[in-house]
Amino acid sequence: MVSGAIALAFLPLVLTFIIRYRYYFVLFYRAVLVRIWYDCKTGLTREERAFQYVLTHATPGDPESIMETFDLWCSSVEFISNIGPKKGKIMDRILSENSPLTVLELGSHCGYSTVRIARALPLGARLYSVEMDAKNAAIAEKVIRLAGFDDDMVELIVSPSDEVIPKLRSEYGLERLDFVFMDHWKKCYRNDLQALEGSGLLGKGSVVLADNILFPGAPKFLKHIRKSGLYEWKIHRATLEYSKGIRDGMAELVYLGIK
Amino acid sequence: MGTRKDRNLKNNEKKEDKGREKVEKRKKKKRVETSSEQESSEEEETRGVQETKPEVWSPEELEKLKEAVDERKKLISTLRGKPLPMRKKLQTLRESQEFVEKYEGALGKGKGRKLYAYKVMMLKKWMKFQRDFENFKTACIPWEMKIKEIESHFGSSVASYFIFLRWMYGINMILFGLTFGLVMVPEALMGRPYGSMPRKTVPRAEAANAMDFAVLWDFGGYAQYSVLFYGFYNNQRTIGWLKYRLPLSYFLVGVGTVAYSYMVVIRTMARNANQDGGGDDNSFNFSWKMFTSWDYLIGNPETADNKFASITTSFKEAILEEQESQKDDNIHLTRFLRVLANFLVLCCLAGSGYLIYFVVRRSQKFALEGLERHSWWETNEVNMVMSLLGMFCPMLFDVISKLENYHPRIALQWQLGRIFALFLGNLYTFIIALMDEINLKREEEEVVKLNMTLWEATLYNGTLEVNGTAPPITAHPADIPRGPCWETMVGQEFVRLIVSDTMTTYVMLLFGDFLRAVLVRFLNYCWCWDLEAGFPSYSEFDVSGNVLGLIFNQGMIWMGAFYAPCLPALNVLRLHVSMYLQCWAVMCCNVPQERVFKASGSNNFYMAMLLVILFLSTLPAIYTIVSIPPSFDCGPFSGKSRMFDVIQETLESDFPAWFGKVFSYASNPGLVLPFILLMVLAIYYLQSTSKSYKQANLELKKKLQTQNEENKKKNKLAALKAAMDLEEARNAGSDSPRHERDKTSPQQCHRGERGEKRGLGNRVYQGKHGHLEIPPAIQLPAPRGHLPGPLPGNQSAPRVQRVHNSKRHRE
Repeated sequence: MVSGAIALAFLPLVLTFIIRYRYYFVLFYRAVLVRIWYDCKTGLTREERAFQYVLTHATPGDPESIMETFDLWCSSVEFISNIGPKKGKIMDRILSENSPLTVLELGSHCGYSTVRIARALPLGARLYSVEMDAKNAAIAEKVIRLAGFDDDMVELIVSPSDEVIPKLRSEYGLERLDFVFMDHWKKCYRNDLQALEGSGLLGKGSVVLADNILFPGAPKFLKHIRKSGLYEWKIHRATLEYSKGIRDGMAELVYLGIK
Repeated sequence: MGTRKDRNLKNNEKKEDKGREKVEKRKKKKRVETSSEQESSEEEETRGVQETKPEVWSPEELEKLKEAVDERKKLISTLRGKPLPMRKKLQTLRESQEFVEKYEGALGKGKGRKLYAYKVMMLKKWMKFQRDFENFKTACIPWEMKIKEIESHFGSSVASYFIFLRWMYGINMILFGLTFGLVMVPEALMGRPYGSMPRKTVPRAEAANAMDFAVLWDFGGYAQYSVLFYGFYNNQRTIGWLKYRLPLSYFLVGVGTVAYSYMVVIRTMARNANQDGGGDDNSFNFSWKMFTSWDYLIGNPETADNKFASITTSFKEAILEEQESQKDDNIHLTRFLRVLANFLVLCCLAGSGYLIYFVVRRSQKFALEGLERHSWWETNEVNMVMSLLGMFCPMLFDVISKLENYHPRIALQWQLGRIFALFLGNLYTFIIALMDEINLKREEEEVVKLNMTLWEATLYNGTLEVNGTAPPITAHPADIPRGPCWETMVGQEFVRLIVSDTMTTYVMLLFGDFLRAVLVRFLNYCWCWDLEAGFPSYSEFDVSGNVLGLIFNQGMIWMGAFYAPCLPALNVLRLHVSMYLQCWAVMCCNVPQERVFKASGSNNFYMAMLLVILFLSTLPAIYTIVSIPPSFDCGPFSGKSRMFDVIQETLESDFPAWFGKVFSYASNPGLVLPFILLMVLAIYYLQSTSKSYKQANLELKKKLQTQNEENKKKNKLAALKAAMDLEEARNAGSDSPRHERDKTSPQQCHRGERGEKRGLGNRVYQGKHGHLEIPPAIQLPAPRGHLPGPLPGNQSAPRVQRVHNSKRHRE
C-alpha cells in the first residue's frame, strides 16, 4: 500500500510535534498515565497516596515542611495541580501586601493552597475553604489539621461553589471578603465571580486571585473582567506548576466597586 | 457692540490670513457695523459688491474681488499647515470655498466673463471627473478590497504576501498570453489536425484507455498528444494561409518569457531599492521603535491588541538586548547550541536529499518494470515525497532554531535561508534525476530509430511490387513506431509536479487550517482546557513559507514552460484559485501573528530570492536546449541537430542575404568580446557612480542631522532667554515698588544680555533655575525647551513639535 518512503517523509512532522509539544506530552504522561497506573496498582486515589506520603515524610505542625513534601511528591512522583512553589511565592507576596482578615478559597483540593494561605494570614484572620468533592475534602481537612490550623482559623465547607456563595452572608455571617482565591473548575470562574459581585461581599479594595487562567485557561473569565470595568487587574505570568515549558498565569483583580 | 468687540479681540491674532473671511461672515449676517472706521468702509464696499448687479461693477471693484478670490485660494491651499484647531480649520475651509465658488465665475471682463465662467465650470467638471476616474481605477485593481480587509485584520506583513501573489498573477497572465496566443492557438487553428501524423496520434497500444480519467489526470493519453505538450508540434516551417512560422515562434516565445521575467523582476527590484532611501536603521533604534512601530492599517481590535503586545515585548526585548550587549553571558554555550542547531539542520537536509534521491531511483526502476504493475502510491511517490518534505521540514527547522536564541529578525533570515536550501536541494535532485531519465530515453531513441528503418524496409518490401515508383507509407499513423520523445516526458514531469504541489497545498489548507479551526472552535464547548488560547489554538498565517512556496512554484514554471506550453495556463489557474482560497482561509481560520514583523523591508528580499530562483531555473532549461539534440520525430525542432538552429534557418531563408552576413559578422568573437568588455566597463562605471551618490546622500543626511541639532540648541537658548527676560521684568516689576529704585532693572537687563552673549553662562543659569521657575505663559513659544529630555532621534523631532503645537493651540 503506502510506500515506506512516503511514511518517512512524515518523520519531520512527527519530530516537530514531539519537540514542540514535549512539555504537554510529559504532563500527559505524568498526570494521566502514571495516575492510572498507580490507581490500578494501589487501589487508592491519587490524593490518598499524596496524603500517605506527606504523613510519612513531613513534620507535623510545620506548614513549611508539609508544603515542601507536597512539592517534592508532585515534582518527582506524581502530578497534582496545586498552586506550586513559584506561583505560591507570588500569592504570598500579595497576601503580605494586603494582610486580609476574611479570606475565601474556592477549591481546596488536597489542602496545599489552604495551608499556604493560612500560613501567611495575620492573627485573627479567618479562611473559608470550599471543596466540592467529599473525599478530597476529608483529605484536605486532615492536611490542614496536620499543619496545625484549627477550626477557628480555617473552616472547610464541603459543597459546590455556586451553592455556597449565595449563602455566605446568611449562613456564615460574612459581611465582606478581603481576599478570594480561585483554583477550582476553570469553567466556573466567571459564574462564581459574577455571583460574588451579586452577593455584595466584595468591597472596595478586595482582591481576587485566580490561578491557571492561561492553562488550562479561563477565557470567559478574562473576557468578563476585561469588559466589566469593575476591576483593576493584571496577569502574573509564570509557568504551570511543576513544569517548565507550559505558560500559565494568575490574574490579580482589585475590586474597584460600582460607580 | 460688546459682542462685536469680543469677536474682534478673539479674531485679532489671525487677522492677517482671515481678514477677508471676516468680511464675508459679517456680510452674511447683514449687521451694520460702526466700531472701526476702516473696517466698516470695507464692509460697505463688499456689501455694495454683493448687492449691485455684476454687470455694473467698476474695474476697481472687480480688481478687489479678484484679489479677494486669490487670497481665498491661497488660504485654502495653505490651510493644512496653519496652526489652528481642526474645527476652525474646517469652518474656514468651508467658508472660503463657498466664497470662491460664488465669485470666481463672476470674474473676467465684459465678453470674456461668460467664457471665463464656462472655463471655470469645465475645469471643475474635469477635476471631478478625474477624481471619479481615480476612484474607478482603484476599484478596478483586482482583489484590492479583499487585500485591504486582510490588511486591516492581519497587518501589513500578511497583506504583503497577497500583494506579491497578485503581482505574480499579473506576470503569469502575460506569460500565459504569450504562450497561448503565439504558440497554442496558432497550432490548434492552423496546424495539422489530430490524427494526421504519428506525433499527433495516440499510439495503438494506448488508444484503448487514452480517455480514462486516471490517464488524463496523469497527463497521458489524449492530454499528452495535444497542444499542451512539446511533442504535438510539427516541424513544418510555416503553417496555414498566414505562413505562420511556428517553430521560430515557439523558440522565441520560450526565450521571450524568460527575458520578460528577468526584466520585470529586475525593474521591480530597482524601483523598490529607490523607495528604500538607504537610511541607517541602527543608530536610533529606540526612537524608531517609539514613533514608527504602529501599523496604521490595522482596523481590528484583536490585531490591535496583538500589535500592542508585540510592540511592548519588542521594547522589552530591545532593552534586554541593550543590557545584554553590555555584558556577555556564557558565549560558549550559545556558540555550542548554534553549531548544534546547524548540524541538526544539515542532517535534516542531507536526510531529505537522500530520501528524494532514493525515491527517484526507485521510480526509475518502477518505470523500467512498467508502471501498470504498481499502485498509485508508488507511481506518485516522487511528487508526494517532495511536497511532504517541503511542507514538514520547515516546521522542524523552526523548532530547531529555538535552540539558537537569535534575534527574531536574524532568526527569520536563517529560517528563510534554510528553507531556500531545502527547496533548492529538492528541486535540483529532481532535475538531476530527470537528466538521468533523459539520457535513458535518448538511448531508447537510438534503438527505435534502428527499428524504424527495419520496419520501413519490411513495409517497402511488402508494397514494392504494387507501387512501382515512390513508396508512400500507407500505414495508419497510430501504428507507426515512434521515439520516446524526452521533451514531452520532461514537460509531463513538471506538470505533474505542479499539480501534486497544488493539491498538497490545498489539502494542507483544508486539513491543517480549516479542520483544525473547526475542531478548536466547536470542541471548545466540551473540552477540559481552553483549546483556543492553549494547546492547539488556531494556526497563524506562515508568510515566509507561503512566499517561498510561491517563488519555487514560479521557478518550476520557468523551468518547464518550454517543454509544456500549458504550464503558464495551469499556473494562472492555480494562482487564481489560491487567491480566493487563501483569502477565505486566512479570514476564516487563522489568527493574527503574535510576532508581527515589518513587511516593507522584506519586499526586496523576496524579489532577490525570485531573481536567484529565476537564474537557477533557467540554467537547466538553457542547458537542455543548448546541449541536447531534440528528438527526431516529435516537436517543432525535430530533424535539427540543435533547437536553436531554427534561428539560423530563418536567417538564411527569410531574410535577405546581406542580413545573414551582417549577423555572422556581428556574432564573430572578435566583435562580441569587445562589446562584452564595454558592457562590463559600463556596469562598473554605473555602479561606482551610484556608490558615490549614496555616499553623498549619507553626507547630506548627516549634515541635516547636525543642523537640526544646532537648531534645537538655538531654540532652547532663545526660549531660555525669553523666560529669563520675562522673569527679570517681573522681578523688576515687583522689586521697583518695594525698593523704589530704578537701577535694578537696567542691571538685570545687562545680565540678561551677557547671558545671551555667552552660551555657557546661560546654561549655568538654566542649571541653577531649572524648568520650574519659568512662568507658564512663557513656556509656550518654546516647544522644545521644556520637553522632558533630549530626544534620541532627529527624525522624530519635527513630529513631536507639531503635536505639541496643536496641543498648544487647543489650549
